[in-house]
Amino acid sequence: MSDITGSVAPAAGGPAAPPTDMAAPQARLRKRRQVPELAALVVVLLLLCAFFSIRSEFFLNWDNWLNILVAVSITGIIAAPATMLIIAGQFDLSVGSALTFCGIVMAYTAERQGILVALLVTILAGLLIGALNGFLVTVVGVNALITTLGTLAAFAGLARLIADGQTLILDDFGTLGTTRIFLRIPIGVLIFLAVVLLFYLAMRYTVFGRSMYAIGSNPVAARLSGIRSNRLIFIAFLLSGLCVTLGALINVSQLGAASTLAGNGLELSVVTAVILGGASLAGGRGTILGTMLGLLIIGVLNNGLVLMNIDAFWQDVARGTLLILAVSFDQLRLRLGSR
Amino acid sequence: MDGHGSFRLEARGVRKSFGGVEVLHGVDLDAVGGSVLALLGENGAGKSTLVKIIAGDYQPDEGALTIAGEQVTSLDPLAARRFGIRMIYQELADAPPLSVAENISLGRWPSRRGVISWGAVRRRAQRVLEQLDVDLDLDAPVGSLRVGERQVVEIARALSDEARCLVLDEPTAALSAPEVERLFAFVRRLRDQGVAIIYITHRLDEVRALADRVTVLRDGDVVLNGASADLDRRALVSAMVGSSVGDVERPEDVHEAERSDTPALRLRDASVTGAFADVDLAVYPGEVLTLYGKLGSGTTEVAAAVYGLRRLSTGTMEIEGRPTTVAGPNEAIRAGIGYLPADRQREGAFMVRSVAENLSAPSWSRLARYGVVITRRLEAVAYRRWHDELSIRSRNDPEQLLATLSGGNQQKVLLGRWLERRSQVLVLVEPTRGVDVGARQEIYRSIRALASQGVGVLVSTSDYEEVVQVSDRAAVMARGRIVARLAGDDITTARLTQEAGG
Repeated sequence: MSDITGSVAPAAGGPAAPPTDMAAPQARLRKRRQVPELAALVVVLLLLCAFFSIRSEFFLNWDNWLNILVAVSITGIIAAPATMLIIAGQFDLSVGSALTFCGIVMAYTAERQGILVALLVTILAGLLIGALNGFLVTVVGVNALITTLGTLAAFAGLARLIADGQTLILDDFGTLGTTRIFLRIPIGVLIFLAVVLLFYLAMRYTVFGRSMYAIGSNPVAARLSGIRSNRLIFIAFLLSGLCVTLGALINVSQLGAASTLAGNGLELSVVTAVILGGASLAGGRGTILGTMLGLLIIGVLNNGLVLMNIDAFWQDVARGTLLILAVSFDQLRLRLGSR
Repeated sequence: MDGHGSFRLEARGVRKSFGGVEVLHGVDLDAVGGSVLALLGENGAGKSTLVKIIAGDYQPDEGALTIAGEQVTSLDPLAARRFGIRMIYQELADAPPLSVAENISLGRWPSRRGVISWGAVRRRAQRVLEQLDVDLDLDAPVGSLRVGERQVVEIARALSDEARCLVLDEPTAALSAPEVERLFAFVRRLRDQGVAIIYITHRLDEVRALADRVTVLRDGDVVLNGASADLDRRALVSAMVGSSVGDVERPEDVHEAERSDTPALRLRDASVTGAFADVDLAVYPGEVLTLYGKLGSGTTEVAAAVYGLRRLSTGTMEIEGRPTTVAGPNEAIRAGIGYLPADRQREGAFMVRSVAENLSAPSWSRLARYGVVITRRLEAVAYRRWHDELSIRSRNDPEQLLATLSGGNQQKVLLGRWLERRSQVLVLVEPTRGVDVGARQEIYRSIRALASQGVGVLVSTSDYEEVVQVSDRAAVMARGRIVARLAGDDITTARLTQEAGG
């Protein structure tokens, strides 16, 4: 019966192929995995651009592009740390109300203590929100989604309490929002680009960034590899809070006022951009570059719809649809990846 | 024994292939009501395939099944259920948040017009638990129970409707010694109630304690079949392992390392309350010391304590002669210790990240420029250093995702992680669990290669063949203590199982 797999040849050594002797040096860095993902986004972006430039003569104007960049800059400043958090398997939903809160704190304090004190207090407020989120997630151990859902509600309420439900006027703080240095680019946009660049470098070229990917990919393995996950996640939430502050400052500067509705729905735009940009909700995958492409797609779409005189409400519909499409792609990719 | 129960399951000439490789070469099996059949064999002998055929999960390519006198041509899981065949798989398949009573009725809710009758759910649970003579809180969520109790709930579920044949697939793998005793008591009671029991195991002591008859499988053939009373341990071992014991022969390069004066790792009178006590051991640079013991014997806990995952309650640890305390993995790694966890997928691997990243993760700070700036190129350097050394079979692309490698090669990558980190002490827990037979040999080679680089390797394992194949010296643990120390040619499967106790 057993003449095939008898005791003559132990099955152990049988199927083992000889080790590959291919020379190691030929292993050049190939980016074959990242390119297709991002390429799809680039194609979508180009298609949208092509479509809108045919439909509207204003679309390709430099000024229109500045409009798009201004429109996405605050979302973008916050989407950069949000990408980092999602890569680490975390989540920050509180960014919308944190932005509102910081704006209100800025305007409220500036009126009473002057701009400088107000700046300091606002930065502290942003860090505080980040620290609170980080503390709850890493020390208490509450799930990040729940934590930031809680702080989202709480700080929206606090902002309204401080402002007594009113919009607060802030007069002499226009620098961040309106100053243009060269090519008529507003400072806010330059700050946005700088933040993105910093996060790009951090995620791609630092031990910190690599650790974020590792934590998101497998938290237990990350800990067992000596990565101090809790400390790093805490820092990530702090960075998120800091960037939110930056966004809030630019926002009040642009408007000359702090509204209690300033950050409404911001978390949705941020998450849409991040997920559209290819970050996986399961953690461990995603790039800053991808998020920026996602952000631009949303920006161009909104801008184009306006130029075509389509009702503004359709922008929300388009954004929601995009989010669902993006997550569906994410799921599809996961399923294909697990093959 | 035949008069005892009317139920009888006969398998004749069962053959089964997967992807052109035949794993069962015409196997016979008899399970009789009121008797326990031990199905014995090494990993990969075909035990699981055979019982999956009995449970209707797989269809045999050839051969016949006769169940309760009925010739069965094709058996699906539903038909197997109707015949009263119940499987208890190795992994728990329960619903942790649901109560004991709910779990027992899981998927077979007693209902009237689609409305669940909770009274009937409780009554059924009560009845079957009484029958098993166990006292469990019907309303406790199953997730709050100990593993042994959860297994009992699974058995209760299997028995809650007329079971005539119960198949248990290595049920003691996750149980503590007293839980094993209780499980055995159940099995005996069921046998006395006339149930036919097929008990899969690769542990000889369990056969002696439980089985009326034994069927031994090796490489897809039945090599032994008889009453367990007539078979001694020797006969069973040689049947399982085969006359060609070449598989478990000690490799030639195994040697007692030339000892330097200071051990790479030394534990003195180390204890962790509730896990192990008075453990004294020294691992010298360049040698492999294995800690062998059955699950629950304390070997994994010793490994965890060395890596700082558990705090020593008494005793001290020295790394290269320096007294060292480690409060966690990060400190352990700095002290020069590396660790390979038992559950590679859950605890070791970054599946969606590249091979190069996986290999260099603990070394990032050292590889990075100024301790901060790390590039793919730097990681690729680490990759190339160990790719050939450990004969990792991949596309030779540092950016290849770890998930696309085979289990054995993933394991080599995780070993390489600590080579790159230049750890002086390496702690490996069950290094070949879930790795197929062919790759196992290569991992042993990798481990020996690690040792020959001067690393002191501590292996914690419950696989005695592994001990024979990889260790210079071995310590056997039972009930949290080291009960024997073996070296050189004394390290044999017979000695190991004997010392580990029944």
